[in-house]
Order: sequence, then C-alpha cells, then structure tokens
Amino acid sequence: MTETRKLRVRVDPQVCVGNAMCEAIAANTFRINDNRQSEAVNPDGDSIDNILEAAENCPVSAIVVEDAETGERLFP
Amino acid sequence: MVTQIQGDMFTREVIADPYAYYGKLRDHDPVHWNEAYELWVVTRYDDLVWLTRHHELFSSAVFRNDPRGPYPAIDESDLGLYEYVKNYQADQFIQHDRPEHLEMRRVLHSYFTPKSMESWRPFVQAAVKELLDAAEAKGEIDVMRDLATPLPVLVIAQMMGVPAEERPYVRELAEKLLYIGRGEGDRMKPLTEGMRGMIEYVEPMVERRLVDPGDDFISVLAHGEKKGVFTRHEVLVNASLLLLAGHETTINLICNGTLSFIRNPDQWALLKQDPAGLAKSATEECLRYDSPVKSIQRIASQDVEMRGKTLRKDDRVRWFISSANRDPDAFPHPEAFDITRHPNQHVAFGSGTHHCLGATLARVEGQEVFKALAERFPNLQAKTKDLEYQPSITFRSLKSLPVTWH
Ligand code: HEM
Ligand code: SF4
Repeated sequence: MTETRKLRVRVDPQVCVGNAMCEAIAANTFRINDNRQSEAVNPDGDSIDNILEAAENCPVSAIVVEDAETGERLFP
Repeated sequence: MVTQIQGDMFTREVIADPYAYYGKLRDHDPVHWNEAYELWVVTRYDDLVWLTRHHELFSSAVFRNDPRGPYPAIDESDLGLYEYVKNYQADQFIQHDRPEHLEMRRVLHSYFTPKSMESWRPFVQAAVKELLDAAEAKGEIDVMRDLATPLPVLVIAQMMGVPAEERPYVRELAEKLLYIGRGEGDRMKPLTEGMRGMIEYVEPMVERRLVDPGDDFISVLAHGEKKGVFTRHEVLVNASLLLLAGHETTINLICNGTLSFIRNPDQWALLKQDPAGLAKSATEECLRYDSPVKSIQRIASQDVEMRGKTLRKDDRVRWFISSANRDPDAFPHPEAFDITRHPNQHVAFGSGTHHCLGATLARVEGQEVFKALAERFPNLQAKTKDLEYQPSITFRSLKSLPVTWH
C-alpha cells in the first residue's frame, strides 16, 4: 500500500559530506553533483524502502524524507 | 615574498603548536612541498574538501602504493617488522579505493548508522559514570589515563562482544596499537605485538560467530567473509581497525576538549549553565578547535594541478585538518573557542567517501563526557602547565592531563 505513496526527498547541502553512500543504495534517486555532494534528483526513482535505507545510512543524517501529500516526516 | 618554511614537522615547537606552523603554510604556501619527508602539505579548508571528495585522483591505498619507507625513520633493525605492519595496514578497508572500498564499507555501514549509534548512549553514560565515580573517590585523575583511554575501549569491546573479564587484555592490545601514530624510532616492536595479539585474539571469535552469529560487529565482519567480501585476514585486521580508529581518536577528543575548557573559563562557565543543552555544540567546537586527528595521507593516482603546483602521480599528499579547521575563510574568528558556534562545518572527521564511520559514536562519547564533567566537576583545573604531546604528525595527542577539582 505504501508503494503508491509519493515522497518528497531533500539533501541538506550544509550537512552532506559527499560520502556517496546514498547513491550506492538508491542510485536512481540520489546523484552526486559537481560539488561532490548528493542531490535528490528523482523521489520516485527507487522503492520507498530503498530511499529510507539510504536516508538511514547517511552518516551525517543529511537526508530528509517526507510524504509529498501529507507532509508527514518519514526520516529522520 | 617567499616565506622560509622549515622542513622538520617533528620538532618540539611544531608538535607543541601545530597551529602556528600549519597556519603559516595555509596563509603563505597552501600547497607546500616538504622536501625532508617528500610530501605535499595541503592546509586550506576548501582544498581539503576538494581533495577528499576527489577520491579518484587521490588514492587511500597508501601502504600498498607508497614505494618510500616510513617517516619519521625507524630503527634499521625493525625494517622487517615494518613489512608486517605494511601488509596488516594495507588490508584495512580505510586503505582501499573504490570499488573495493564501497563493497567493504557497506558490510559495516548499517551497524554504524547514526540511529543505531544513538542507541548506545545509555551504555556510554553508564561507562562515563563508572569512570567518574572511581575518579571522585581518588580526588584527582589523569584525564588521559583514567577517563579518555578506558572509555572508548569499554565501548568498542562491548560492540565486539568481548566478555568483561577479557577487557583488560583488549585494552592492553589497544594501547600497543596506538604506536601506529607515534614518531619513536623503536615504535615497530610494540605495534607489531599489538597487531599479532589482535589477530590471535579475534580469530577464534570469528570462528564462533560464523556458526553462531550475535549482534556484535565481529558477527557483521564474519558475515562479510561468508559473502566473499572479506578474506579472513581482512576480517581480522578490520576488527582491529575499528578498535584502533575508535580509540586513538576519541581519547584526543576527550583530552583536548577538556583542556580547551580549562583554558577558556568563560566557555566552561557557559557549559555549566546548561550542560545537557550545550553538550552537542560544545563537542563540535572541541572537534574543530583542537582536532583529534591532525592530518591524513593520500597518494596521487595521476598528475594533478593544485593552486598552480603540479602534484605527480605517486606523490605523497597530506591534508591537514588542524589548519583547515582554523581557516579564516571558513570560520569567523577561527582562533576563538566558542561552544555556541553555528554553523560549524568542521572537517575533524574528514570528508567524502572515507568520512569517519564512527563519527556519531565519537560524538555521543564526547557529549556524554563533557556534560558529565560540567555537572560533576565544576571546579576542574589542570595540575600543571607543562603539557606534552606525542611526537605524531597524525594525532593531536597529549601524553597526560592531570587535573583536580578542589
Ligand atoms: C573523535 C573521534 C574521531 C575522529 C576525530 C575520527 C576521525 C576520522 C577521520 C579524519 C577519518 C577519515 C580518514 C580518511 O579519510 O582516510 C576517519 C575514518 C574512519 N573512522 Fe574515525 N574518527 C573518530 C572516531 C572513530 C570511531 C569511534 C570509530 C569506530 C568505531 C571510527 C572509525 C573509523 C573508520 C572505520 C574509518 C574509515 C572509514 C573509511 O575509510 O571509509 N572513528 N575517522
Ligand atoms: S550519504 Fe549523506 S553525506 Fe553521503 S552523499 Fe548522501 S547525503 Fe551526502
């Protein structure tokens, strides 16, 4: 049921240290830019579980995941 | 104007005050060739971030790719031991580049997420309390020997699944491993004893965890062996990497941070007003102001231009956290110890793909220590002004820090 949910995904550039773990876990959602920081390019790129796993594995908790419709905070 | 920069980075003056020496380099020659040790010295904040985030240009496989010998020099009779150290270090995942690095780090990553490390806070609190109870009974302590050194080993040993009665032995080994970052000519002997001891101690644990896994990180490493990511030797040296990386660094956070408070009574007074509320930002400022790790090395993977200099393939490159964290282009009033500093994007844990795996754990330990000290020992003072540092280029490590609170 959650798979149809739309997400809003953000990476805080003040916090991201370019560890690139998010890109390794959810490669269609996160892309490393020219600054060598992550950007959430497509919130529908991977499964919700994958995106949440990426957010949880960010070593500095730079990734925020919300429900796009309700605004409910899913991570952190 | 060309500023004369002396070449020896291991003199008493540079070890005692790295900020003057590397700060001068940062201001006058930010990508500096050090002839004596044949390495590039990179000292600006922006350059450090750029360099660490271009891992394809700068290899972390330093032990494998550096054809030159150890620096500072070691006793000639110990060169055989150095070969052992080299092979041991080379198998740690911190010494790998992509793609192997990513595969190896992923095995451990979920164990060390910020969320799971946060769940260790009660254990850390209890360990700090136990150590400070013992300190209180004694009336005075050496922060290095009695608090900073035992705390991280207690925590890591618990994560490894070491039984309580074997902790003193693991602590003994951990203290021998600390010689990796020292400058003494005869440091190879205790170091290799520590390394061999770790291998012998951990191997039977791995055997047991392969058949009967638990929730400790030896089980996580053993699982990596099962999946074919690690060889047995890699499992063993990575277990010891976790013990060492979490030890030699956290001890310096605790001691250097405590000393920063002793030397800045206004900031100590501020922390005491609200220890729980300020512990987080205070720990960040301790990490920035007197960083536990001073510098880390890479090897250039190809010719690279930096600030008009050409770094050649296979050149040694060292990036200095100590100078970057006091770069006036990155921090207003960088020489001020300000525990409310915000933002505080210091690089004490490095940056890029090798950014510290244990950063959250180290933060939790620092926060709990500074909070407890402020609550329990409001009159903390140093017993002496003559403080000495280990002769290391990598770690900012006090030899001891005797304090009283009367
Ligand atoms: C205040 C304490 C600490 C400081 C200042 C610190 C600093 C650092 C730095 C600067 C690096 C980057 C190395 C590089 O780029 O080559 C690093 C990596 C690492 N740290 Fe820490 N560290 C601390 C605590 C810990 C703890 C508690 C652990 C383990 C439990 C740990 C485990 C590691 C590991 C495994 C790596 C290698 C990561 C990789 O190569 O991907 N550290 N640390
Ligand atoms: S895992 Fe976190 S720090 Fe690393 S690139 Fe992604 S957002 Fe940035």
